[in-house]
Amino acid sequence: MLYLVGLGLGDAKDITVKGLEVVRRCSRVYLEAYTSVLTVGKEALEEFYGRELILADRDLVELEAEEILKEADTSDVAFLVVGDPFGATTHSDLVLRAVHAGISYRVVHNASIMNAVGCCGLQLYSFGETVSIVFWDDDWKPESFYDKIKKNRSMGLHSLCLLDIKVKEQSIENLMRGRKVYEPPRFMSVSQAAGQLLEFTLPTRVVSTGLTEDTLCVGVARVGAEDQVIRTATLRQLGSCDLGPPLHSLVVTGRLHPLEVDMLRLSAAPDALAHLEVEDSSTS
Amino acid sequence: MVNFTIDQIRAIMDKKANIRNMSVIAHVDHGKSTLTDSLVSKAGIIASSRAGETRFTDTRKDEQERCITIKSTAISLFYELHDNDTAFIKQGINGNGFLINLIDSPGHVDFSSEVTAALRVTDGALVVVDCVSGVCVQTETVLRQAIAERIKPVLMMNKMDRALLELQLEPERLYQTFQRIIESVNVIISTYGEDDGGPMGLIFIDPVIGTVGFGSGLHGWAFTLKQFAEKFIAKYAAKGDLTLTPEERCKKVEAMMKKLWGERFFDPETNKFTKTCSGSKNTVLSRTFVHLILDPIYKMFDAIMNFKKEEAAAMLEKLDIKLDTEDKDKEGKPLLKAVMRRWLPAGEALLQMIAIHLPSPVTAQKYRCELLYEGPGDDEAAMGIKNCDSAAPLMMYISKMVPTTDKGRFYAFGRVFSGTVSTGLKVRIMGPNYTPGKKEDLYTKQIQRTILMMGRYTEPIEDVPCGNIVGLVGVDQYLIKTGTITTFEAAHNMRVMKFSVSPVVRVAVEVKNPADLPKLVEGLKRLAKSDPMVQCIIEESGEHIVAGAGELHLEICLKDLEEDHACVPLKKSDPVVSYRETVSEESSIMCLSKSPNKHNRLFMKARPFPDGLAEDIEKGDVTPRQELKARARYLVDKYEWDAGEARKIWCFGPDGTGPNLLVDVTKGVQYLNEIKDSVVAGFQWASKEGVLCEENMRACRYDVHDVSLHTDAIHRGGGQIIPTARRVLYACQLTAEPRLMEPVYLVEIQCPEAVVGGIYGVLNRRRGHVFEECQVMGTPMFIVKAFLPVNESFGFTADLRSNTGGQAFPQCVFDHWQILPGDPKDATTKPFQVVADIRKRKGIKEGIPLLDNYLDKM
Repeated sequence: MLYLVGLGLGDAKDITVKGLEVVRRCSRVYLEAYTSVLTVGKEALEEFYGRELILADRDLVELEAEEILKEADTSDVAFLVVGDPFGATTHSDLVLRAVHAGISYRVVHNASIMNAVGCCGLQLYSFGETVSIVFWDDDWKPESFYDKIKKNRSMGLHSLCLLDIKVKEQSIENLMRGRKVYEPPRFMSVSQAAGQLLEFTLPTRVVSTGLTEDTLCVGVARVGAEDQVIRTATLRQLGSCDLGPPLHSLVVTGRLHPLEVDMLRLSAAPDALAHLEVEDSSTS
Repeated sequence: MVNFTIDQIRAIMDKKANIRNMSVIAHVDHGKSTLTDSLVSKAGIIASSRAGETRFTDTRKDEQERCITIKSTAISLFYELHDNDTAFIKQGINGNGFLINLIDSPGHVDFSSEVTAALRVTDGALVVVDCVSGVCVQTETVLRQAIAERIKPVLMMNKMDRALLELQLEPERLYQTFQRIIESVNVIISTYGEDDGGPMGLIFIDPVIGTVGFGSGLHGWAFTLKQFAEKFIAKYAAKGDLTLTPEERCKKVEAMMKKLWGERFFDPETNKFTKTCSGSKNTVLSRTFVHLILDPIYKMFDAIMNFKKEEAAAMLEKLDIKLDTEDKDKEGKPLLKAVMRRWLPAGEALLQMIAIHLPSPVTAQKYRCELLYEGPGDDEAAMGIKNCDSAAPLMMYISKMVPTTDKGRFYAFGRVFSGTVSTGLKVRIMGPNYTPGKKEDLYTKQIQRTILMMGRYTEPIEDVPCGNIVGLVGVDQYLIKTGTITTFEAAHNMRVMKFSVSPVVRVAVEVKNPADLPKLVEGLKRLAKSDPMVQCIIEESGEHIVAGAGELHLEICLKDLEEDHACVPLKKSDPVVSYRETVSEESSIMCLSKSPNKHNRLFMKARPFPDGLAEDIEKGDVTPRQELKARARYLVDKYEWDAGEARKIWCFGPDGTGPNLLVDVTKGVQYLNEIKDSVVAGFQWASKEGVLCEENMRACRYDVHDVSLHTDAIHRGGGQIIPTARRVLYACQLTAEPRLMEPVYLVEIQCPEAVVGGIYGVLNRRRGHVFEECQVMGTPMFIVKAFLPVNESFGFTADLRSNTGGQAFPQCVFDHWQILPGDPKDATTKPFQVVADIRKRKGIKEGIPLLDNYLDKM
């Protein structure tokens, strides 16, 4: 049996009771460690679960999945995913492989950023397509996420922006040479994401009613952890904020319900809501 | 020799209209260096104690020993034209003194890259042809390059002494030989030149206008029709007691020259020129060139070589040739040389031809600018080049690196095209990969010193204005081989040079003593700098590879590496050739590969290029920098590409410029441009290292038919797409009947008829085939032309000599790539063996990878 176990968002203790039972029972336990991270490391988890974990990086999951599934038909193997196994990151490929190999599977759900983001006060019902904002470099500046945010906003929906995580990534040169040399891990912060979004608001770029500097956004950091931060502010204000260590996410608001506005007030930066009634079309 | 101070030289440099930058080009052994020596001894600037030593321009010890030129060498000459002669010049001049910067270049095909570098900095070329051997393969190669660079040629018919003394040709047959050589040269000019001569005007050579010289470099004599025309005019003028102004004289001489060539005949009875060969008394007349020019020379040869002392003395008297006392005692050949030198001094004839007919920088840069400069034709730099303006921003092209006496350091050798370069000037040094606006391959540094390069000597000089050739100190560490030096912020690069040969022969080198490895690495760096063509590569396996144009080139490079650059004992592998991988059919199926996360799928196919397209790309007729529409039109017109597809070429590869194309033929895929760069990177990778044995790909077109992508950008980054693109490209290659291509030499062999059979034997054993065999008119020599795979050429020269009693001399020049017949996947074929050998040498897994590794199921 292959178990896919969600670990939740905060620290070691966020695992469900059912999940913990599975972890303690299985013969091998893999920890997927490249699509997201917890606030604590592998050692803390091992200590709390009372057993050894095998770190599963991108290469193992994507290229050597057979390794994970080995003997899963006769014994139990657990695959731990930060958040929910079918949340932000979908491990459908692993499930499909397991099914093809005649291995049955079971999922233990948990909280994911996809639902926990509700903590900021915006209603989950009013979220549109989720997008990822990726690190731009000199040659690669994908803009597709902007189109989606625009689409969401035109329908009055909020957009959850997941921010890029680069863990164990190779530079293109090393990739070509086949060298297993990895770049230092990088996590996009809310201010960096806001900075990239602000580029679309430059006078030269504005094509239609997309974003403006004054669009109301919510930055969240370390959701689910003790020191979680929620900051409601305009896009420009978020461009210069510091929400501390990773992970961060960003929400671009759509049409706001009065109750949502009240909730946002709790975390609003000074003057953030000042323009709300008058200028920002998102409240109309 | 002319003795000048640096200040005097510097003053001449400012008279741009009186500068002639020229190269001497020819087939190997046609006598360039010897001829150059006769010019240098007449007009070489900076007298030196070594004057008189032979082969002044061959500066290296091995050059002197082997008697071939390996590196091109620059030398400056000063020549003062007589007042009477300035009237012949059809371009602007400034006084009578001419500064001639002459570059003597190697004739052996293996060193063609040196010729290319020389041509770039010159405006004119003295093409030397051995009148016995005629136009040979290397004559054609270098002349073609000269024409492409818009270099104006003049011809020197060399080794006349051989024609007279060894072959004893009849005067009329010698004339026919000359005529034929001139025709062959003009055929090359018209084949590779622009229609109607382009902006240069007509550049055909013609004895009548004086662009053809005849003579013997070895004996030190030469003439053009002008010399003889002048002698006749002088004779008539003396008779009629006329004093002519230079202009009148010039007209008369030019008219006379027309009568001295072609179907013009002289009737000694009536002293008249006619256009028919039947004389007044039904005699058969000989043509003017034979009667008035060749006959006297033949008589002189006959008189002196057959020791007819009185006859000779009479002729000397008549021709008013006064010999030195020491020469008077000579006999036979030495006397002949002395006499001919007095009568028809080579330096005088050639320097006149150069000064009169070759363009000055002012003239040449006007029409060369568009070929030289990559930037817009009207920016400051372009205008500076066009006007040859020494007050404009500096634009200088570094064409090669010349080793200094200081080990490991180099002079950057090049030409100032615009502005003035001076010691201490702060300049932008831009390598070939520089793109305007970016910082890549760009350095801003001061020039430590500017120097004059004169053969094997150098002299420091304060500054050098445009139109001149100069060496720079302190630039070598910022450039690999070539580059542009400028003071203009927005300057683009000067166009990089196109070589006619490519480095297809390679050897692996290693140090005998492992502790010397750092010295080898450093030595390889220096070697790469010192030669315009050689490539020094470090393979995946850690092997150090040196790649060159041919066996001789490699031999010289390795010797330099061992003795001068690394200075440690080396082990060398046997030479091997580079191969190319290609495909011969369209992919049999639509190839699909999925990204590691399985969320992205690429659908592609490969197919071979139409014949000729790969060559067009290599020649530069189709380039990545070309204007998109112009390129598309070319592909549609010439290769019947679909017009829409021709506009959607994503890139060239490998290295962004190679002869493989990636084409987008998708229909309406959203966000395709977000993965374009990743697919391009995968394509560069796959086209650099093909699936068969990681050799470069050639002549393959890959079409992107469809892609399906994850909806979110984070799941389709480079890490996901690049390896996937490579895998699908490999699948494309494997399903499109992959083939190997090998390089093929064109071999030209000169030999006597008796040994032609032996040549066929050797060629047959080496998979070569003869496609042309002909006798050199007027000689017993035969010329055999054949194609020979480079792989079979190792030891070919030695083999050929031993089978022909040393009478056959081959010249091999890279000609084309050819498919090695047979399926590399079939264990019984030769390509299979070649692939296996290469994989073994490179240390990669045995056997061509299976398709399953790359092709995914839907």
